[in-house]
Formats: sequence, structure tokens, C-alpha cells
Amino acid sequence: MSLWLDKYRPTSLGKLDYHKEQATQLKNLVQCGDFPHLLVYGPSGAGKKTRIMCLLRELYGAGVEKLRIEHQTIVAPSKKKIEINTIASNYHLEVNPSDAGNQDRVVIQELIKTVAQSQQIQSSTQREFKVVLLTEVDRLTKDAQHALRRTMEKYMGTCRLILCSTSTSKVIGPIRSRCLAIRVPLPSTEEVCNVLTSVCKKEGLLLPPELAKQISEKSGRNLRKALLMCEACRVQQYPFSADQDVPVTDWEVYLRETANAIVSQQSPQRLLEVRARLYELLTHCIPPDVIMKGLVTELLSNCDGQLKTEVAHMAAYYEHRLQLGSKAIYHLEAFTAKFMAIYKKFMEDGLDAMMF
Amino acid sequence: MDIRRFFQPTSAKPAVQKPAPNGNIKTQDKKKKTNPLSSEEDVKKKKKETAKVKSSKPDEKRKDSDKKRKKHAVIESDSEDEEVARKSPKEKQKMSKTEPPPKKDPVQYVSETDSDSDNFQSLKKTSKPKQNGTAKPTKSEAASARPGAKEGVKSPVQSSSSSWGKTAGKSPVTPKSAPPPQPKQTPTSVLDYFGSEAVQRSDKKLVASTKRKAPTQDTDDLISDEQIARELQMDEDMELEKQVHEDEEFARTLAMLDKEPQAKKARKGSEEKPAPTTFKKSSTSAGSTSSPSKTNLRGSMSEDVISPSPKRNPVPVKTSSKLAMMKKREEERDEWPKAKTAISPTKIKISPKKEPIASSSSPRKFTPKTGTTPTAVKTSPKKPESTSTSPDDGEKKKVNASAYRNFLNRDGPRALGSKEIPQGAENCLEGCVFVVTGVLESMERDDVKSLIERYGGKVTGNISKKTTYLVQGRDSGVSKLEKAESLGTKILDEDGLLELIRTKPGKISKYEIAAEAENKASKTRTPPSRTSKSTPKAQKISPSKGNSRSPHTPSPSKTGLAQGHGTRIRERGTPPGRGSGHTARRELGLSSSSAPGPSSPSPTGDGASLLWVDKYRPLSLKTVIGQQGDQSCANKLLRWLQNWHKHHSGGAPKPPAARFGKFGGKDDGSGFKAALLSGPPGVGKTTTAALVCEELSFSYVEMNASCTRSKKNLKEVVAESLNNTSIENFYKGTSQTVSTKHVLIMDEVDGMAGNEDRGGIQEMIGLIKSSKIPIIFMCNDRNHQKIRSLANYCFDLRFQRPRVEQIKGAMMSIAFKEGIKIPPPALNEMILAANQDVRQVIHNLSMWSARDKVMTYDQCKSDAARARKDMKMGPFDVCRKVFSSGEETAHMSLIDKSDLFFHDYSLAPLFVQENYLHVRPKAAGSDLKSHLVLLSKTADSISDGDLVDRRIRSGQNWSLLPTQAIYASVLPGELMRGYMGQFPTFPSWLGKYSSTSKHSRIVQELASHMSLKTMSSRQAVNLDYLYYLRQALLSPLQRHGSEGAGEAVKLLDDYQLIKEDVDSIMEISVWGGQPDPYSKLDSKVKAAFTRTYNKEVHMTPYSLQVVKKGRRGGGGESEFGGEDAENEVQESEDEGEGLKTDAMIKQKKAKATKESKKEKKEDSGKGKGKGKGKGKK
Repeated sequence: MSLWLDKYRPTSLGKLDYHKEQATQLKNLVQCGDFPHLLVYGPSGAGKKTRIMCLLRELYGAGVEKLRIEHQTIVAPSKKKIEINTIASNYHLEVNPSDAGNQDRVVIQELIKTVAQSQQIQSSTQREFKVVLLTEVDRLTKDAQHALRRTMEKYMGTCRLILCSTSTSKVIGPIRSRCLAIRVPLPSTEEVCNVLTSVCKKEGLLLPPELAKQISEKSGRNLRKALLMCEACRVQQYPFSADQDVPVTDWEVYLRETANAIVSQQSPQRLLEVRARLYELLTHCIPPDVIMKGLVTELLSNCDGQLKTEVAHMAAYYEHRLQLGSKAIYHLEAFTAKFMAIYKKFMEDGLDAMMF
Repeated sequence: MDIRRFFQPTSAKPAVQKPAPNGNIKTQDKKKKTNPLSSEEDVKKKKKETAKVKSSKPDEKRKDSDKKRKKHAVIESDSEDEEVARKSPKEKQKMSKTEPPPKKDPVQYVSETDSDSDNFQSLKKTSKPKQNGTAKPTKSEAASARPGAKEGVKSPVQSSSSSWGKTAGKSPVTPKSAPPPQPKQTPTSVLDYFGSEAVQRSDKKLVASTKRKAPTQDTDDLISDEQIARELQMDEDMELEKQVHEDEEFARTLAMLDKEPQAKKARKGSEEKPAPTTFKKSSTSAGSTSSPSKTNLRGSMSEDVISPSPKRNPVPVKTSSKLAMMKKREEERDEWPKAKTAISPTKIKISPKKEPIASSSSPRKFTPKTGTTPTAVKTSPKKPESTSTSPDDGEKKKVNASAYRNFLNRDGPRALGSKEIPQGAENCLEGCVFVVTGVLESMERDDVKSLIERYGGKVTGNISKKTTYLVQGRDSGVSKLEKAESLGTKILDEDGLLELIRTKPGKISKYEIAAEAENKASKTRTPPSRTSKSTPKAQKISPSKGNSRSPHTPSPSKTGLAQGHGTRIRERGTPPGRGSGHTARRELGLSSSSAPGPSSPSPTGDGASLLWVDKYRPLSLKTVIGQQGDQSCANKLLRWLQNWHKHHSGGAPKPPAARFGKFGGKDDGSGFKAALLSGPPGVGKTTTAALVCEELSFSYVEMNASCTRSKKNLKEVVAESLNNTSIENFYKGTSQTVSTKHVLIMDEVDGMAGNEDRGGIQEMIGLIKSSKIPIIFMCNDRNHQKIRSLANYCFDLRFQRPRVEQIKGAMMSIAFKEGIKIPPPALNEMILAANQDVRQVIHNLSMWSARDKVMTYDQCKSDAARARKDMKMGPFDVCRKVFSSGEETAHMSLIDKSDLFFHDYSLAPLFVQENYLHVRPKAAGSDLKSHLVLLSKTADSISDGDLVDRRIRSGQNWSLLPTQAIYASVLPGELMRGYMGQFPTFPSWLGKYSSTSKHSRIVQELASHMSLKTMSSRQAVNLDYLYYLRQALLSPLQRHGSEGAGEAVKLLDDYQLIKEDVDSIMEISVWGGQPDPYSKLDSKVKAAFTRTYNKEVHMTPYSLQVVKKGRRGGGGESEFGGEDAENEVQESEDEGEGLKTDAMIKQKKAKATKESKKEKKEDSGKGKGKGKGKGKK
């Protein structure tokens, strides 16, 4: 028994539910037997990885689905041992170099190089090249990305790279230029609804369109989330009702409460409480930019029109600093404090205006 | 003064007169050098005298005079000034007329003689002069009012007003020494000198044996100095003041004087009434007792005897009531004038120096002389009476401090620097304790404090009985005022304080006195009779010292005079009295002063090339600073060492007893074979150890950090040497065995940390166990990791820093021996700056005195501030200081503020960030809006700091640190400066960061376990999957209880999760401290779940080695082909690996049941317990 999400995950390019045109193009790309390095990017939950796996299956056949997890130890030049998990089939290797943290450059240099250097033994039955799938490329350090540049060119004959990333902004230009960039956008609301409905149908359930729409909206068109939500709804209450509550993850609830706390009162004590809540979020490994985004959306809904632009501007400003700095809490807190100050001022001025 | 007195008598005896002037001149010269000081001394002496006089002489007069003085203190002072001024011109005239040549000559002559006699006195005096404060003058004034001062004061008045004619007339009346011109010259000043001197002498003689011989003498000199100063000032302001004084004070005083007996009685009532009788009696008695001093007076007859007390009579004289009295006074004056004439030039010369200082305060100073306690008069009406009754006590009042917190919220001074800070006499506030409350208008509190401390006063925070003054400012604390009132503490305002400083006479620091006393004592030891024999030595000494310390000289004059006149005998009598006084001081004063540091006579010659630290190294255990007490470390060590062989000779030591001794009971360390001396540097650990060994005549081997002390080395060198028999003993044939008189001193053991000394500590512990001799270890940081193990085997002696007073006493005596003149408050600063490190203080003293033997308070303070030991502040202190407002940070420069950051640049920003929310910024007041704005700005700055921090850490751009300091510490501090309601909290960021990374690891592990199925990144797993996965996992258990276990396990298998992952999931999904839903499950259900899970073999596509601790699963085993892996293989592995199987697979029913039982026990729901349970499988 798996979750629906994984149970009904499409395994071939032909079975993909949306972006079918792109799927066709990919199929065509592969069918000629060769393809350039790929940079697949798109927001989380859009189906990048699924698409890549379909592509690999198209390329190598079902053998790709025989996966194993390997635990590799790499010795850095500084004698430091780096341990990293890889997922591999006979035809490809999937690595997330950013797991190695600051040492990801070593992973790129050693691991990928060794894989890329080795020739396929049986080139008759197989493709001439292996595929190395690098995930979370946007989290690679600059050093690692630079290490990748030369590798990409030098071992082009034996190895193709597929880079998977949520954004290209953190991928350096030289790499972007070496890759065929494939953007996988989020499915539209309708597409999400369609997927949900079809999944429910396969499960033998009847999903009211209203609920499907509500789910797709609540999930932010993140199909992964939408499917999970849908299943949670099923667990919660079966005969679906159109207006039933869609269970939301803990952290989202928590984040919303935090935002409400900011709006409801502006005082140093409250700022202190908010800080504690922010810490709580951060310790749960919620990425700071997600926190920021969640806060802002929630805060904006509580703001007057005039204030909205200002708050949005502030949010952008502090989000930028978030990327530049190292201690997320500082910037989140600065944003909160700033919002409190502005909001307080705005409210009091507003009151004064009312008075006179 | 004494000299003058002598001269007076001499004046009576023409021959003597000449030398007397000389003496005066000398004294004057000295005065010139230390005019203010000397004057102060004089004042003090006068005071003392007056006190004495009171007992003997008529109290009425004093009281009257005091009252008058108080009332018209200023006026009187003016009058004095006027008098002086008048005198000076007169004197000049006289000088020119009568005695110009003789003055010079006599001066020279006298100077020698005087100096001889002075030496003893001078020593005492020198110390006193320093102390000369304003308080003394008051006393002196009071005193003077009685005998000399009164005369002087009055005399000037008289002279100025009507006395001139009278004096002139009188001078003729006094045929003895008074030439016609003299009266003019002598006006008041001369009279004052003489009068005071005479009185003082008598007092001295009387008291001499008891206490204050030296002081009285000094006072004379001081008075003369003061007078000189006054004259100078007077010249400028005289006329106006004179007029005023004459008008009011004189009128009153004169009237009082005229009526003396009657008026006094009437006015003062019961006291006064008895006084007159006493007066007469005293006069008679004084004549008998004080006759020595009054030798001059004697000449003048019984009237003369009366005259000292009636000095005020001069006033009456003006009123022309008692001509006889006038005549007597005139005679005295005449005598004085001679001395004065000689003095006058010197005075004039001196005057310029004094004038600037005294100009503003001169009138006040004068008043004190007149006899009223100026401080009391000026400051509070209450005081005058009390002071008059007990002027001495007045000095010892304390001052109050203010409530700090309230102060923080107050505005600062509104008129900073608007008032001129007066130049007071040195040490004038010594013995006074101040409490400052409220905001003073023109001074920051720091300034006030340093001002008070500069003059020897002490500033405390709370009012107690000891508090002398409460300085009250705006918004002062109510409770303090109430308390002050209830305790009768005097309340001053700012002006009152300044006035107090301006007017209070100086004092000689008790430390100086003690130092001198010690010095004298040492000198006197050699010459048993101080009189004439000792004087030459003293003279020799004095010249060297004399340069810096002119005040010494006054005393000599006395001796000289004494020699000249019949008074010698008495004076000779007095010296022993002085001696006793010194000894008494020694006893009373500071045992430490004599004991501390340098008992060594070394100062003489041999130590010229030595550092002072070595030169004045204590030579006996008794003289180690701060180690005199019976329970002091030194004595404990001594006893321990003494008894060592008693305890350990039998070869059967009693370690258990020792241990006991350590924790309770008597702490004599008898069970320990080694001692550990620990304490900060510069407190005398090494010295103590060496001295203790010397004291007990142990020979010691010292090893310090300069010796290699590795394990090997220690073993070879130390063990060998310790087991050696001393050759000495061998020759003597005393012992064949190991000498028992050995001690091993291991200095600086905390330095035994490096590679070189590896294993040294362990070796030493071994050494202790086997040692046949006592071992003494020394270290700075007793709590150091390395030392702690050693400390368990050692008698623990912790050296504390000596108190400031203890060090000060010793330093004063060193300073004295080296001829350095340093005001005690300055020394205070030095000691504090060195953090009570004796060695450092001595070094500093040595260095700074190289430039100038005379060190001023300000100079010392600035030097001390520069030399202030950099004290490392803890991050909590740093944080508090960053945000604290008020004086503490008011004077900090930008650099100072950013230096705070550098106390610990990695922690400081964290502390600031953690605590800035707790601060109530002063700038915002109670306005929430501006508070929030400030918070926002602060947060922005902190976030800027983080950006810089990132730059620094990522690019190693450490040069950016100052930038970060500004953003992360200085700016937040500036913005939020205010009051922090709580103790700074430790930054939570560190804890949060570690738990973040822990959770991150867990998520990563989960993600990698699920990766085959989910194909999602860590982040996606965390954000999207986990919550729903948990729900999916728990819902069957929640709904179906035990029956749902199978379903849950199936889910786990599908996602290739293992049981531990469940715990991980639950751990991560706890929000806001709420209990995780899994733990809320019924324990039976959980047990069923576990059982179900353990029933089957679960295959994972990944190696479990990472999850398990173990190095177990190595390479080969880990790679199963995912779903296709075969059971047989696993089984074989299971069998083969037996216990190890956990790494790969969970299985086997038999075991499972056991496990389940175990787990039930552990079921409390904690993941850890389960994990362990499984681990045991």
C-alpha cells in the first residue's frame, strides 16, 4: 500500500498527464539516440523528477527501474572522508552532491569523474553513454559548479548529465549554456483537477469537482501536495463533501498562526514570541524563503492596500538579504520588526485620521 | 609654626628672635614649596590643638569664635585675608624698614637647625600635609580662635581696623621684641602665627606625649602657608572682603571678645558659663601645662597666659575694652611680626602659586582658620554647631549614593560644566563617605565620583551610619533622603559639595602617616634618642626627600626653637611622645602598612640596580601583603609544612583523613603530601612559598616553566634530586637517609601543557604519591582541566587578591622610601588599574616615578587608565554593557564600544541579537511606536551584521570584522541604549542551530530511505510528504488499534522505511511542544505494531550501516538488488552474523517476542528506548 501519489506515478513519457507536448518533444529528443546535457527546472511538485525518470526509461528501457541505493565514501584531497548516498541503476547514477555540504566539489570531482570516465562495456546492447542525474543543482556551491564545467565537456562521449533544479538563478551561466534547459511548469488548476479526478476514479472514489478545485488551490498547484491532500481527505471522510476541510500540513498551520500573531499585536513581547515561533519553524527544516513567503502572503491578506506595496517591497528586500546572509532568523526577525513598526504606525495614524 | 612660636619667645628674648625668623623663613620656604600642604597641615594642627586646647583652655572662647566663624565664616576668612594682605604690605614695609637683612640671614641659620629638628617632625608632617584637607582648616581655625589663630584673626582685624593704632601703641607697650614697625607688619598674620604657635606648642607639649605633637607643629606651618596664600589672594580681594568682614564679623567678634567672659556665658548658656571659669582655670592650667608653648606668653606674664585664649580679645581690643589684653597680644604680634617679616618675602613669593588655586577658595580657607568649621557653616546650618562641638567628627561623615535605576531614566545634567570645579586641598575629603543621589546639574556622576575620590573621599551606593554626606541632586531618591535624615547624615547640594571641597582643609593620608611612621620607626631604631643625635640623620635624609616634601620642615623649627630657648627640655620630652604616637599609629593604622612588602632596609644602596619588585621583596613571612592573618594561606602553608614530617614520616600517611579534611572539619591539609597554591598573578604565591621554606629552614628546589618538565624529565631530575642526601648533611654525618629538610617547589604548573611537558601532570601525581618530601605546586588557574586532577592530591590553598588598602599601605611605604610623592587617591587608581596585582603596581610606580618624583592625582589617573589591565569580559557582561546607558557608557568612544564586540566576536553578535528585545530603549521613552521603530532599526542593523559575517566567513575577509562590530554591536547598542530588565540570556541561536542540523540529518535519512519510491528531494519530503505519511501511518493504528498494525507495517515496507524511521518521523513532526500523536497511542497498540513489524523480515534497498552505529555491514552486504533480493541470502547472513543481523534485517519470531516484552517495558513511547530494544536483538 503506497500513497496514491507514488502508486499512480506515470512511468513513461506517454503516460504523462499534462505538458504532453513537452513530453512528445522529449520523446523525439531521445529517439534519435542521443541528446545533450539537460537542465530540468521548475517549481517543486511540477513533476520534474517523474519526467526525468520517464525519459530514462524511454532511453534505456525498464532496466532503469531497477534501482539500488549505494553508499559511497569519497576521500577528499584533505584526507577527509565524505559519505554520500547514490541511487543507481545499471544505466544511470543519481547523486545529490549538496548532501555533502561544503565538500560537494569533491563529490563532483571524484565521483562523477570516475563514473564519467568509465566506458560502457557493452556498447552494442546499451547506449554509448551513461546518464548522471544531479539533483538540487541550485544548492551546489559555486566551486562545485565550476568543477562541473569541464567535466561536462570532457566526458561528453561517455556521459550525459541531467541536472535537476528548482531554479536556474543559482546555476552559473557556463553550465546553463552547456545544457538544454527544459522548464517544467506547474500544472494548471484544471490539470491538477483532472489528475485528482482520474486518480480517484482509479481508486473507485468519486471526487466532487468543487473539492478537487479547492484542493488544487490549497496545494498551490503542487501536484504532489494535491495528491497527498486528496488522500488525506479520503482518510478523513469518505463520501467526499464539496466543502470539507482539506487537511493542511502542520507547518503551514503553524506559519499561519505566526503571521496572525504578528498582525494581532505589535509589541516587543510579541516580537519575542514570534521569534520563538520562527525558530521552531527553522528547526523543523522549513526553508527560510518558504517561511518568508508564507508570512508575506498571510500578512498581505491583512494589510490595507496602501500598505501592501510597502510590505511586499520589504519582503523582497529581506528575502534578498536572506539569500545573502547566513543566519536566517536575523532577517526574518528584521522583517517582522519592520512590519510591526510600519503596521503599528499605519494603524495609529489611521486612527488619528479617523479621530479628526 | 613651632619655630615661630619659638621665635616669639625668642622675640621676648631678643637674641633668640633672629634665629626664629630664620626658622620661619625656612618653614616658609618649605611652605613655599608645599604651601598649600603646609597650610593645611597647620590647619590640622591647629584643629588638633584647638581640640586639646578646648580641654584645657576655655571652651567658651572657642565656641564663641566658632559661632562667629560659622556665622561669618566667609567674612572672617575675608578678614583673615585682609589681614594677611595688610600684613604682607605691612610686613614688606617692616621688612624694608626693620629687618630685611636679618631675615635672610636668620633664615639660613634657622633652616639648618630647623631642618634638623624638623626631620622627625617633618616626617610626620609630610604625611599630614598631604592630607591637609578643608576639614582640618576648620579645626585649625577653631583652634586658632582660641590661642594663636584667634589672635591672628582678630589681630588682623584689629590691626586693620583700629588695631593699627592700638597695635602700634601696644607694640611699644610690649618692650620685649616688638619694634614699632613690627606692629604694622604683624597685623593679623603674624599674630596668628604666633598665637597659634604658642597655643600649639602648649598643646603639643600637652598632647605631645599622648598623640599629636607632629600635627600641631605642622599646623603652625600650614597656617603660615595659608596665611601667605591668603595674603596673596587678599591683596587682590582684600579690601572688599576686609570691609565686609570688619563690618560684620569683626563687629560681632569684637563684641564677643570684649564681653568675652560675660558674653560667652550669656550666649552659650550653660556651656559658656562653665567655660569662663574653665577659661580662667584653663588659662592658669594652661599656663602651667601649656607653659612650654607659652614660653613667650610667660614672658608676658599671667595676662599672656590668658591672652592665648583671649586671642579673640584682640577684637575686644578693637572695642578697646581690654587694653591689657591688647598689649599682650601686641607683644605676641610683635614677636610674630619679626618672624613674619622674615616670612613675608617668602610668602609673597609663594603667593603666586597659591593664588591661582586659592583665589576662588581662599576666602573659605580663611574662614576655616578663623576657627569656625567652614564646611559646616557653608554647607548646612546644622553642621556648624555639630562641627563646632566636634569639628574632628565632622570630617568623618560619609556620603550617600543614589538609586541607580531611577537614575537611568533621568535626564542627564542640564548644565554640564557650568560650574567651576574648585581646587581643594589635598585629601580634604579623606575619611568622608559620600552618597550621591539624583542628577547634579553641572557634573556627570562619574565626574562627581572622581572628584570626591580625588580628594580622598569615598563614594558608596547606599546610606549607612558611616555616610558623612548625602549629595543631593535633582530627582533624588526619596528613600535616601529619608534615610539620611533619620541617620542625621548631612545633605549637601551640588554647590555645597563644591564648597566643601573648596573649604575643607587638607589632611595627611593615613597611609602616608603610616609610611612615615614606619620609616621613622626604622630610623629611630638605630638612634634610640631622637633628639639631637637623630636630627642630623634626619637632616641628611630630609634633603633628598625634602625637595619633594617641604612640609617636613616645619617640625624642625620647633626643635630649633626649643634648643634656643628653655623649651628644649619640653621638646625633648615631646619627641618621645611623638615616638609613642608613631608607634601607636603603627599599631592602630595598618598592620599591613608596616608589614606589607618591604620590611627590607634595602632602599639604601644595594638595591639601586634592582627592580623595585625585588628590592622590596618581603624578607619575612610577616611582611607578605595580605598574608598576615592566622588563617591566611601563608600561615596555613607554614603549619602544613611544619607538620608535614609529623604526618608523613611514618611512611603510613593518612590519605583518607586528608580527604576528609578537605571537605570539612579542620582544614590543615595534614593528609596531603603536596600543596597547591593558586591565585592570580602578582599576589605573592612564589614569594610566600619561598619564605615559608626559609622560615622553616627547608631547602627547596624550584622548577618553573623554564625547565623542561616532561614525564621523563621529571622522573629523572626531580626524583633523583629528591632522593638525594644533601652533601652538607653527609659531611656533618648527621644523617645517612634522605634529608628531611627538602621541599620541591613546582612553579607555574599550569604551564605544563605543551608538547614538551606531556604527561608531566600525571608524573607529578605519581611523584606526590611516592614523595618523601613535601611538594608545593603553584598555578594561576586552579580550575584548569589539567590542574584539577592534580588538585585532588594537594592541599588546596587559594590566594586572593589583597585588598586595596593592604596594597596601598605597602605602596605608600615604598613610595616614601623612594622619595616619591604620590597622593593616596592616585595610588588607589593605580592599584585598581592593575587589578590589585602587587607586582604590577610596584612596576608601574617605578616607571611613572622615573619621570617625576611628584605624582599628581590626575597624572596618575590617566597613567593608570592607560595601564589598566585589559580585563576580559564575559559575553554576558559585554552584552549588558552594549545596551547599558548612563555614565557607564556615556564616555565610551566609538572604539571602546566596538572593542566590546571584540571581547568575543563570534558570540557577541549572538548575544546582542538574543537580548536586544529585552531592552527598554531610553530614546523611545514609553512610546510603543518609537520603540518598535527602534527595534526595527536594530534588527536591520543586526541583519546587516549578518551579511558582513557571511562575507567574513565565506571569504575569510577578516578585515571586515570592525565593520561587523559596528553593525552587530555598536549600532544596536546605540539605538537600543536603555535599561535591560533582566540578566542577558544565552543566545538560543546556538541551540536552535544544532537542533536544526539534527532534524536536517533525520530528514535526509528519511528522504534517502524513501527515495526510490518518492523520487523526491529532502525538502519535498519534509514539506510535503512527512505530514501525510504520518497520518497514513497512524490512522490505521488509531482506527483499528492492533488490527491496524499490519496495514501500517505494509506502508512502511512500501516506502522502505524501518522502525526507527517511524520514531524519526514522529520526532520531526512535533510542533510547538505538543506531544506527538504516536506517543498518544495506547501502549498495546504500539506493542502490536512493533510485534507485527518484527514478525517479518524487512528488506531495504539500502545499507543500514549508516543508521546503525556500526562499522558492521561493510561494503558487500549492503548492496542488495532492491526488491529482488532473496530471502535465503538474508537468512544465511542472519545465521552467520547472529547478533549483528540488526544492521540488515529485523526478524525471527522467537527473538521478536522477547523484544516485544522488552519494548513493553520501555514502551513509554520514547524512540530511543525502542531503538535500543531493537539494537539488543
